[in-house]
Amino acid sequence: MDFRFTEDQITLRDSVREYLEGTHTPELLRKLDEHGNRDPQVWNGLVEMGLAGLLVPEDQGGLGMGLVEAALIAVELGRADVSEPIVDTAFVAAPWLAAKGQTDRLGDIAAGELKVALAHDVNPWIADLDQAGAVLSNGALADVASSPVVMDSVDPLRRLSARGALGGNDPLLLDLAALMSAAQLIGAADRMLALSVDYAQQREQFGQPIGSFQAVKHHAASVAVKVEFAKPVLWRAAYALQNGHARAPIHISHAKLAATDAAIFAAETAIQIHGAMGYTYEVDLHFWMKRAWALAGAWGDRTFHLKRIDDAVIGGGIDLGPDRTFASEMIHA
Amino acid sequence: MDLNYTPEQIAFRAEVRAWMEANVPKTPLKTLEGREGYDQHVEWERTLASGNWGMVTWPEAYGGRNLDLIRWLIFEEEYYRAKAPLRANQNGIFLLGPTIMEYGTDEQKARFLTPMAKGEIMWAQAWSEPNAGSDMAAIRSRAVRDGDHYVISGQKTWSSRAAFADWCFGLFRTDQDSKRHKGLSFILLPLNSPGVTVRPIRQLHGETGFAEIFFDEVRVPVENRIAGEGEGWNVAMATAGFERGLMLRSPARFQATAKRLVELYRQHAATASPAAREAVTQAWADAEAYALNTYMVASTIQAGGHIGAEASLNKIFWSELDRAMHRVSMSLLGAAAELRTNADGSLNEWLEGYIFSLSGPIYAGSNEIQRNIIAERLLGLPR
Repeated sequence: MDFRFTEDQITLRDSVREYLEGTHTPELLRKLDEHGNRDPQVWNGLVEMGLAGLLVPEDQGGLGMGLVEAALIAVELGRADVSEPIVDTAFVAAPWLAAKGQTDRLGDIAAGELKVALAHDVNPWIADLDQAGAVLSNGALADVASSPVVMDSVDPLRRLSARGALGGNDPLLLDLAALMSAAQLIGAADRMLALSVDYAQQREQFGQPIGSFQAVKHHAASVAVKVEFAKPVLWRAAYALQNGHARAPIHISHAKLAATDAAIFAAETAIQIHGAMGYTYEVDLHFWMKRAWALAGAWGDRTFHLKRIDDAVIGGGIDLGPDRTFASEMIHA
Repeated sequence: MDLNYTPEQIAFRAEVRAWMEANVPKTPLKTLEGREGYDQHVEWERTLASGNWGMVTWPEAYGGRNLDLIRWLIFEEEYYRAKAPLRANQNGIFLLGPTIMEYGTDEQKARFLTPMAKGEIMWAQAWSEPNAGSDMAAIRSRAVRDGDHYVISGQKTWSSRAAFADWCFGLFRTDQDSKRHKGLSFILLPLNSPGVTVRPIRQLHGETGFAEIFFDEVRVPVENRIAGEGEGWNVAMATAGFERGLMLRSPARFQATAKRLVELYRQHAATASPAAREAVTQAWADAEAYALNTYMVASTIQAGGHIGAEASLNKIFWSELDRAMHRVSMSLLGAAAELRTNADGSLNEWLEGYIFSLSGPIYAGSNEIQRNIIAERLLGLPR
């Protein structure tokens, strides 16, 4: 029993964080917002970092890592508000294809040459379908129809299309995508707290930074509690799915629930701390706030995941109690 | 990351489980907050000590088992799984014990730790004063040096179970010209010393679980001071860190409550509201999150890391979780919630638990203070 990341995992995370801090700035977000939302340079940079092949086995051109590493990186992508379909392609489609033995396009994914969009009945939309080389729908990769119907997201950097006849109800696809949405929500929550703290340090009223007032401090501290206690839930969920634990879907729902609640709370508190500035399009906060709103509903909203937990906990599907924290019955026994 | 127990850890769990099943009292003890129940709980401390289960993380030399933190968590899980009684000696085990191990002399360790581990001496805290609560640096109780003794005068309050305990430990001002954090010393003394008066205070539930302590020129040998004269504040901060950090409230306690809460919900499912159902599910999820976080912290500490201000995150989380869980139990019980005893004459533990849970956000440093600590030390907001 050792609930820590390895030094290699920390190094990987830090290098991705550093790269995104340097390249994927709020200035870039504003530029993307004005000029079509996607920039091949951003995608190419992520591919050069090795992220497209993170979960692709080494003999197929990838790095052969697991969902714990992917979750760590997805937090960083959320922290930077990355909008390229790297998570959907590399952290959801790739492990799904590998798990199902559909390996023929994994090399293309690892090389950054194939973007995969994800279709599932749980969402009325498909993200980044218009730029995808393939769509994962009904248990297989399919070609993308020529001109998908565009839908308008509150998040200015999301590109959504109507799902149409695509979709299906694949449980592993849902679990992978919900897990990675949770990770991005955690990253967004962390960033919104950091933005709030920065603002509270700079903004002065009554002759002092507003962050010196207890009312503001306590807002920020409450967010920190919520976010910090969502993180271990996320890590355990990633570990459980990676290792085929029977409870993994429950843990993933728990992670999505905790991450959603943390991110929405962080967003509402952040706008309060920013005051009227937070209600403008001019400060950076809105990008993360809107991403949080979008991901809160994506891949099963709060009610959906609460119900999955509820069915297991109150319905009696799992053993409860202090000795059951790391119960790890296998799915594929 | 390896979230599997080793075969040795699994065998250890089985060992604890077997002992608990054989030794945990079959009928619940009376409340720890009253004299009769307190004595029953002291008896239980001695039973634990007889099995060498009193202070499992302590070195073997002082009656412990020298267990690492993961095994401590396993021990706690089995402890609460077996519905074992609350710890009458928690002030000693979790607060004073670690403090003496870190700051005490070899002689003090020998003198105080072994009787503590055997359950022979029960400890009370003596921190707060009428005008020094959240602002603990405002302490005024004096310890004036007189040869190889201190002469202590003043008043302490909110001292949990001081009406029943044998000794107390706390902070006293040894430098009478000092202000605030400076000039305080950490001193231990018997509560039956001449000049000590303990006045029990009735708590919300009606029992005298805490007390005021009056000191009227109480003579205490200098060797009862832990660490140097005037270094008491730093010692006390370390002690407070143990309290709100890892040891005081193990996750097993809340996971056990969450499990009972689910069972309570099932009994009342026909009349419960959807909101109550959601709160029960949330309670289970949050207790689980607290356990996971604790395993992460324990793993980090075990690998040589440490926690500082992060302990404040913990304290807020468990105290608000405990209150939320008991709040929903009250709503599930409906009109029966107000009854002190159940139909079979046993204590309504949900009501007792709810009342007790209201103290959680206050003791061990109020949650307002914890939020200040988080904002200033973790987030970097200005003081």
